[in-house]
Amino acid sequence: MRSDFKEGTLTINLDGRIDSNNAHNVEEEIQAIIDDTRPDYLVLNAAKLEYISSAGLRILLHFKKNYPNFTITEVSSEVYEILDMTGFTQMITVEKAYRVVDVTGCEEIGRGANGTIYRIDQDNVVKVYNNADALDEIQHEREVARLALVLGIPTAISYDVVKVGDSYGSVFELLNAKSFSKILANEPEKLDWCVREYVDMLKTIHGTEVPEGKLPDMRETAIDWVGFLQEYLPEETGSKLMSLVEAIPKDNHMIHGDYHTKNLELQNDEVLLIDMDTLAVGHPILEFASIYNAFKGFFELDHDAIEDFQGFSYDIAQEFLIKVMAEYLGTEDEAKINEVLDKARILGYTRLIRRSIRRKGLESEKGRAEIDCWKNMLIELVDKTDKLTFTMNELDVEATIDNLDTVTGFVNRALEEFDCPMKTQMQIELAVEEIYVNIANYAYSPEVGRAKVRVEVDDDPLKVSITFIDHGKPYDPLAKEDPDVTLSAQERQIGGLGIFLTKQTMDDVEYEYKDGQNILTIKKKF
Amino acid sequence: MLNIKKDIDNGKLTFALEGRLDTVTSPELESAIKESIDGATELVMDFKDLEYISSAGLRVLLSAQKTMMQQGSMKVINVNDIVMEIFDVTGFGDILTIE
Repeated sequence: MRSDFKEGTLTINLDGRIDSNNAHNVEEEIQAIIDDTRPDYLVLNAAKLEYISSAGLRILLHFKKNYPNFTITEVSSEVYEILDMTGFTQMITVEKAYRVVDVTGCEEIGRGANGTIYRIDQDNVVKVYNNADALDEIQHEREVARLALVLGIPTAISYDVVKVGDSYGSVFELLNAKSFSKILANEPEKLDWCVREYVDMLKTIHGTEVPEGKLPDMRETAIDWVGFLQEYLPEETGSKLMSLVEAIPKDNHMIHGDYHTKNLELQNDEVLLIDMDTLAVGHPILEFASIYNAFKGFFELDHDAIEDFQGFSYDIAQEFLIKVMAEYLGTEDEAKINEVLDKARILGYTRLIRRSIRRKGLESEKGRAEIDCWKNMLIELVDKTDKLTFTMNELDVEATIDNLDTVTGFVNRALEEFDCPMKTQMQIELAVEEIYVNIANYAYSPEVGRAKVRVEVDDDPLKVSITFIDHGKPYDPLAKEDPDVTLSAQERQIGGLGIFLTKQTMDDVEYEYKDGQNILTIKKKF
Repeated sequence: MLNIKKDIDNGKLTFALEGRLDTVTSPELESAIKESIDGATELVMDFKDLEYISSAGLRVLLSAQKTMMQQGSMKVINVNDIVMEIFDVTGFGDILTIE
């Protein structure tokens, strides 16, 4: 009987049949090994066990006396059935044998931080984990994927755990799907489409509130990175970096944590998010750090390396990254895009340097060159940055009255950093309400549609312009005649005051109908 | 957010408002008024703690004013500057009795 004794755990390999003919011998044999090794834990590996009768089951119970926590592993489905029927699965820990899957020659369709995804047949893919002992990771990923699905994120959940060589894998159904990396590599004309879908999904993720305690807080993780880096950075940079990260406000919205184009799949017409193990909560800047790394940070010194990883060129990656930022932030303004990217770079480099040092990067010439490059940029960026958060220029919401608070809250936050007199702030809030409510009530009635609200602030002279865009019926609210405000109460009509108030309190109100969109812009000087 | 405090004293109906009178909260005031306005001869709207009003709030005031002109009188008291400005721009300063 083969056995293996390691770090207090004795593993005994059962094989063939255990029935009344040999049960007694098997028991003595096992007992002899136990007496010999005196283990703390006992594991019976049943990979080669074909059959066990009730006589065999009785000897298992004897071992339970001295080893109440002993486990039987790699149990075949035939033997599992016997253990299950006789109630043994409730008394002892029984682990089923995993189906064996061979990925030799299978197409690699994705690669994440902790594993690689292969297509094993037309309908199924397997994610093979880098870590040989990945069962806890697999369990974790299953749980977070389930949580994400319940919260409204389209994703695939694994339905089986398999053995792939010495590693474990989890199997997902993924029909006919291709990754966004593949689309960008083979159909570059679809880049703009990919940008829109990628940002749509990103906004869905970032708009998803996660119940307290369900996902790790990415800010805490970033604080750990910075702690690790202290001894490698000039003191001034290190302490400023720590206060920058600590000043990121807590945020209970979801972030993916490894959001690049290999982790977004197009399945028929549906976009699916995969590789969910890095799911967390936090401010979007923490997400942009990993996005920056995936398209640029990792490859800053070796532009060609991205081709091996993503399948598309460095140039395509840069075009994609800038367009994603523009779409997400709702601005074409290069200065604004770079401002946010620079903040993302601070967190991105922090992560890259730590990662490289932990992987012995300081011991190779290439590693040292990379670490130096990232470190110099990090020092420069930290020096000129006062905060890592950024304000959004654009909000995209379902145009309902329920979302009024979201809209006014968004506009107020966008104006927060400018010194806006209270009276002006109130007038802007009033105009925003009047226009938004008009869209919510009439643009799509009786159906519901979406509205975009974009805020732009000019510095000199300080002036805000807010644009409302909907795809509803063409309607020019400015064409309506102003109410006569000199009439008496009896003669006054109820209603029609909203747009009038807006025109009176704003410096400029413009309307145009373009490309199937109602576009209304209000402007106000501070 | 809008808090409405109602007081009825014989024919005198008083509403003290606190917070915001906007599209979301105005229907609450509208139904509170509708519930109690029958038989009232005097309606007082106390705006001491009202911070904000939009056209939805103005509509409720105009409609209450029209009703009260049939059965008594209405006045708005303790109006702050921001709300007063809205009244002025829309001509409500002239059609409402403001103290």
